[in-house]
Amino acid sequence: MSLPKQIYAELEQIVGAEYISDREYILAGLRHAMPSSPVKPLSPAAVLLPGTAEEVQQIVRVCNRHGLKFIPTVSSLIGFAYPTALNTIILQLKRMNRIVEINRTDRYAVIEPGVRHGQLRTELMKAGLSYPVAAVGPGGSVLVNFACSSGDNHNQHGASRTNRYILGVEWVLPSGEMVRLGSLANDAGWFCADGPGPSLRGLVKGYAGPFGGFGVITRIAIGLDEWRGPAELPTEGRSPDYKLRLSPDRHKVFIFKFPTLDRLRDAMIEIGKAEIGQAVLKYFNATAALLATQSANDFWELWESGLFQRELSRPLYVYLATHSAEETAYEEAVLREIVAETGGEEVDPAIRAIYENNMDFFILVGFLQRVLRLGGAWAPAKLSADSVHHMFEIGKAIPEFLEEFAAKRLIVDAPDNFQIISMEYGHLAHIELLFLWDRSMPAWGEIPMQVMARSHETEIRHGHHGSMPPRSMPMLGTLGPLYSNCHIWSEKIREAFGTGR
Amino acid sequence: MLPLKDLRHTMESCNHCGQCKWVLGPKTKGYDYAEICPIHQRFGFDAYSGQGLLNIAEEILDGELEYESGLVDLIYSCTTCGACDINCKSVRDMEVLETILALRARVVADGWGPMPAHQEAAGAVAAHHNIYGRAHEQRFDWLAPEVKLTKNCTTAYFAGCSAAYRYPQIAQDTAKILNAGGLEFTVLHAEEYCCGGPLWRTGQIAEARKVAEHNLAVLEKQGIDRVITSCAECFGAFRDFYPRLGPVNFRVMHITEVVQQLIAEQRLTLHHREDRKVTYHDPCLLGRLSEPYVPWNGEIQAFGRHEPPKQWRRGAQGVYDAPREVLQAIPGVEIVEMVRNEENSYCCGGGGGVAEAFPDFSQWTARERCREAGSTGAAAMVSCCPFCQSALEQALGAADGGMKYLDITRLIAEALG
Repeated sequence: MSLPKQIYAELEQIVGAEYISDREYILAGLRHAMPSSPVKPLSPAAVLLPGTAEEVQQIVRVCNRHGLKFIPTVSSLIGFAYPTALNTIILQLKRMNRIVEINRTDRYAVIEPGVRHGQLRTELMKAGLSYPVAAVGPGGSVLVNFACSSGDNHNQHGASRTNRYILGVEWVLPSGEMVRLGSLANDAGWFCADGPGPSLRGLVKGYAGPFGGFGVITRIAIGLDEWRGPAELPTEGRSPDYKLRLSPDRHKVFIFKFPTLDRLRDAMIEIGKAEIGQAVLKYFNATAALLATQSANDFWELWESGLFQRELSRPLYVYLATHSAEETAYEEAVLREIVAETGGEEVDPAIRAIYENNMDFFILVGFLQRVLRLGGAWAPAKLSADSVHHMFEIGKAIPEFLEEFAAKRLIVDAPDNFQIISMEYGHLAHIELLFLWDRSMPAWGEIPMQVMARSHETEIRHGHHGSMPPRSMPMLGTLGPLYSNCHIWSEKIREAFGTGR
Repeated sequence: MLPLKDLRHTMESCNHCGQCKWVLGPKTKGYDYAEICPIHQRFGFDAYSGQGLLNIAEEILDGELEYESGLVDLIYSCTTCGACDINCKSVRDMEVLETILALRARVVADGWGPMPAHQEAAGAVAAHHNIYGRAHEQRFDWLAPEVKLTKNCTTAYFAGCSAAYRYPQIAQDTAKILNAGGLEFTVLHAEEYCCGGPLWRTGQIAEARKVAEHNLAVLEKQGIDRVITSCAECFGAFRDFYPRLGPVNFRVMHITEVVQQLIAEQRLTLHHREDRKVTYHDPCLLGRLSEPYVPWNGEIQAFGRHEPPKQWRRGAQGVYDAPREVLQAIPGVEIVEMVRNEENSYCCGGGGGVAEAFPDFSQWTARERCREAGSTGAAAMVSCCPFCQSALEQALGAADGGMKYLDITRLIAEALG
């Protein structure tokens, strides 16, 4: 359904004729992104490519005047980027793609939404700086990962979640008003999220972000870390078989296996106490097998060999990134002592070599989309953060609800396909369970909701905190009362700041 | 050619992940030169991308999208450079470029394509066996009397339309190089027709098949077991299109591969020195798209299993090393790489019929490539495709930045002394 001519003309006046369209063949590119869902998204009424925050403000005001809904998005990878109601327009912010500032002294970067991980991460390397890249691929928007979506990452043991990196924020409210947060509010620069001036960082991002539902974030500053690698990625080889090795003097990867999840948990906690390591995580094993192979057939050959189930059902990945060979030697010695004390041992050297030969796993995670290869369908049934101990309790309960789906061959039989990532040297940890299913399965469209429902039942039974935020309205209703009635106050926030979509 | 309906798995599998629009992570070098798809970079809407074309193809297949001129323009504005395809295949088991080509064939079958300029080329091929509509009798005007041909030889040099009519120096240099290396070869003379590549890539399958079958028959009749090309477009057609028509009983080699071999065998010495810094542009059809077509007729089962297993063409086996090794063998030549190189090469804008149908956009793309070349500090951009030459020379000429375009055969021929 296209826009009335008058409204179209108003919007066209703002962005220019080249950057608006309601032609069906243009909209076709924005209504197909849900191969893991049986529901085809509604078509947007139009798509716009605004170039500035001021244009965004004007567009929002036009939407309000005419009762249009709008969805801001950049790469449109996730379902929240698609309309669920008629009369919705899409604002694709990809033309707003400037790196406004890289401040080496105070270590922050100011970016617009269209700047992608591949661009910023490699640009910052030239300045010896870095930030934790969420695993979305090089084309993912940095701003969206930091300000609007969950943004967990492999390196958050020595770093943190992306919400902890947000500094100044420029935000176009659903009313069209521009709000500047943190130090930016007082024209004091981008350096601080929490004042002088209002913070509202929790509102902008919370744990997982409102996915663009609270207006449009048009610029943010993010804090930066030191990059302990070369100014340019030393990539060798050709797609899809790249080799990306960093100097073993300062960058080392280890993978250990443990006899029980409790032992693995203890090792993770002790490593945190020792404050060593850049990345410390129990990684998914089926996902690891997908990342390690080049086709679905290759995956099945590897998976059916049982190697990754045998070696990686309780693995601990550790990536050391240090300032010197001496520091590396120290961290390795401490690590080995902890692993020996907790009963760990090294996995098959061939598996460790995969990561030694391609450390992109700890940099840009450029091959993450391989998890989509088995039929295009995957979903997280767990997504939360709490103590390391609690995350492992949740992990131990996963087979209780997952195995019945695997037994019916509705999903890939991979009950250990969950990750627990240590955060801030083990002060917290994050859990995520991925289950993989396929469109060709009978009633495939019902599988994800069934798995998630059983996952929630298990959480309630055990008193686990494994799914934050609740990912659907029925679950919100069930879990909300257990979380200080979050369903009520989140609804109030949505009423106050939501875009009505 | 696979019909569009046989590519439904690819269309339904796309998750809008964006890998088709960006240089692969490990190859990214910074903020600039990170985009890989010319139409997406230029027009911005997702519909202008590999992902968008898959979505459009699915809606056309399902009768959900009606044809209109803007839609046909969009479909034909893609240069079919295959960057989306190779980048997608770094992570997925999908056939993006196959789908785009099948979509074009479908558009032609439905009477909405190709673009008038492409029809004109097809008409020229039908009448004169070349895409320019030039007299067929002039096809071998480039062949100088001093070129030594060998009768009853099983190696043939296939010059192609562009070298024959527009860039005869390429054909002359190629012949000179082969003679200097003592490699016996022949040419097809009046029996050489257009390779059919430009017609195939614009969806004109029947027309492409006609000339390809002619060439195949001639090569078979003359007992040719090795075809040498100096044109990436012809090379790509022989490697990718001809095997779709039936068994191909000859090897295809690009002149750079031949020279690489002659140097290794010490049959060719490049001794004339000229100091120059160059950057090498990988033509799409010599690089990421040059892996031989391998037919696959099977079933895609649950959880992505391909039965029987499919041999994927992911771009790793393109002709990347030969031109670089040859350039390095030329005394005085220093190669500086562009960010987007090898399988991540950025298109010149000259392919897929875009230069003919949308010359402005073609030149926009070429200028972007020249901007990148200029950033290397090279004095010359070297490549080995007349279609790239046409687009890039024009852009360099308009820019007036002092950078020159050189076909690799010119450098080799000069180095022979």
